[in-house]
Amino acid sequence: MSNIWKSAKLDFSLVKPYVKTICFTMVLPVVFAAINRSLLTGISFAMCFIAMTTGYTFSITEKNSMERLYGILPIRKSDMVIGRYIFIIIMGLTALIFSLIAHPVILTILGESISIFDYISAAVTGIFLFALYTVFQLPGYYRFGSIKGRVFMYIPVAGFLITLLLITKSPVGESKLLFTVINSPILLMLLAVIFVIAMYIVSILVSIKILKNKEM
Amino acid sequence: MNDYLEVRNLSKSFEGFQLHNITFTLPKGYIMGLIGPNGSGKTTTIKLILNMLKRTSGEVKILGFDNIASEQEAKRNLGVVFDSNYFSDEWKISQVEKSVSAFYENWNTQKFSETLKRFHIQPSKKVKELSKGMQMKLMLACAFSYDAKLLILDEPTSGLDPVSRDELLHILSEYIEDGEHSVLFSTHITGDLERAADYITYISYGELFFSGGKDEFIDSFRIVKGGCEELSTDLGKKMLGIRNFSTGFEALVKTEDLKQFAHLNVEPATIDDIVVFTSKRGEQYE
Repeated sequence: MSNIWKSAKLDFSLVKPYVKTICFTMVLPVVFAAINRSLLTGISFAMCFIAMTTGYTFSITEKNSMERLYGILPIRKSDMVIGRYIFIIIMGLTALIFSLIAHPVILTILGESISIFDYISAAVTGIFLFALYTVFQLPGYYRFGSIKGRVFMYIPVAGFLITLLLITKSPVGESKLLFTVINSPILLMLLAVIFVIAMYIVSILVSIKILKNKEM
Repeated sequence: MNDYLEVRNLSKSFEGFQLHNITFTLPKGYIMGLIGPNGSGKTTTIKLILNMLKRTSGEVKILGFDNIASEQEAKRNLGVVFDSNYFSDEWKISQVEKSVSAFYENWNTQKFSETLKRFHIQPSKKVKELSKGMQMKLMLACAFSYDAKLLILDEPTSGLDPVSRDELLHILSEYIEDGEHSVLFSTHITGDLERAADYITYISYGELFFSGGKDEFIDSFRIVKGGCEELSTDLGKKMLGIRNFSTGFEALVKTEDLKQFAHLNVEPATIDDIVVFTSKRGEQYE
């Protein structure tokens, strides 16, 4: 078993006593999906909520002064960081799978029909939003700790609003490239996946650098 | 390999504090006490050894491995006990084993169970249900389970009652009995060292004051006592620390300077005396 996987398992054991609380945060988005009669809305909320719980590992580590345990384990700091990202991505994917099963069940009961395209677009949007939140949050947690680092979660929200503002004020129709992307769902999804991977790579490298320079 | 821990010219600068050129070696099979008053740099030294702080300069080798370049190898056979527990409060003891054992190839589950039994720790208990002494024993049990060759303990006895302290010292003495294990043990309870340590490294105000055999350390100093009229300026300059009373004084001096104090009452110094007098840096106090 590689050290990265061992590190991810250690993170799981940290949040294991809080699994019920984390599961509870997945219930509310089901209600949102039902009210809005939209799978996309439900999944977006679910991924936003689960992203908020990624600070648990940092909070528990801080509360128990466990940085000392991490400091004595025979494992590279880069492996610790990658292990934590992997654990958090697994958490996100688990929440996504749960939501992609639970939300359609509720929506179907309410008489809504859901196409394959709805599933795919909701999944890609969910992954994108989760990545957008976590790639900013995690380096923030590593640098400033679980309380101060939480503020980094709002960077994507601000970025989102600014992007929307820029798009509405700029002549989108005149950009041929943007027009092609927006009107091609497959291309849009592909770009989202590439963007997610790139964001995670940069975020991981930043977090490793922060941890390597951090004094415990 | 004869030296399990080698620290050479280790320095670290903080705002308002500097650890300067700390050098010492701990041979295998022995216990070394790392002493000094609060804020002298003991924990900083230990954190630098563990690469939890970034050193300004110097070199640290743990079991022959550089603590930064070969961090994983260095930590594979290293056990550490801090003054407080570093496991999640919510973990059961069995969860502690599950979480930590994966990182050590030579983890021995049977040995862990036996050690828990010996320390009277129930595996079904949560970490937060254990007393401070028991939590310390849990950290020790983990280190014993992968047969850590070098144990580093940072103020393990602070906050422990005398019975638990005595028990810990007994455990450490047993641990080094086979000649294959070593212990670096930081404390400001010097009475513990009189009993358990073979070597002493004394850090005062970030500077290395002494590193060597315990007996040599104790033998290097004497307490001299005399009346007020016997204290001259010349003698005062040779004193490492002095305590004045209305009727006279007592002072710490180097054994090599003892000839000049032959007319005074001379007594052996304890580790406590040496630390207290030298920490005052020759200041007079009443």
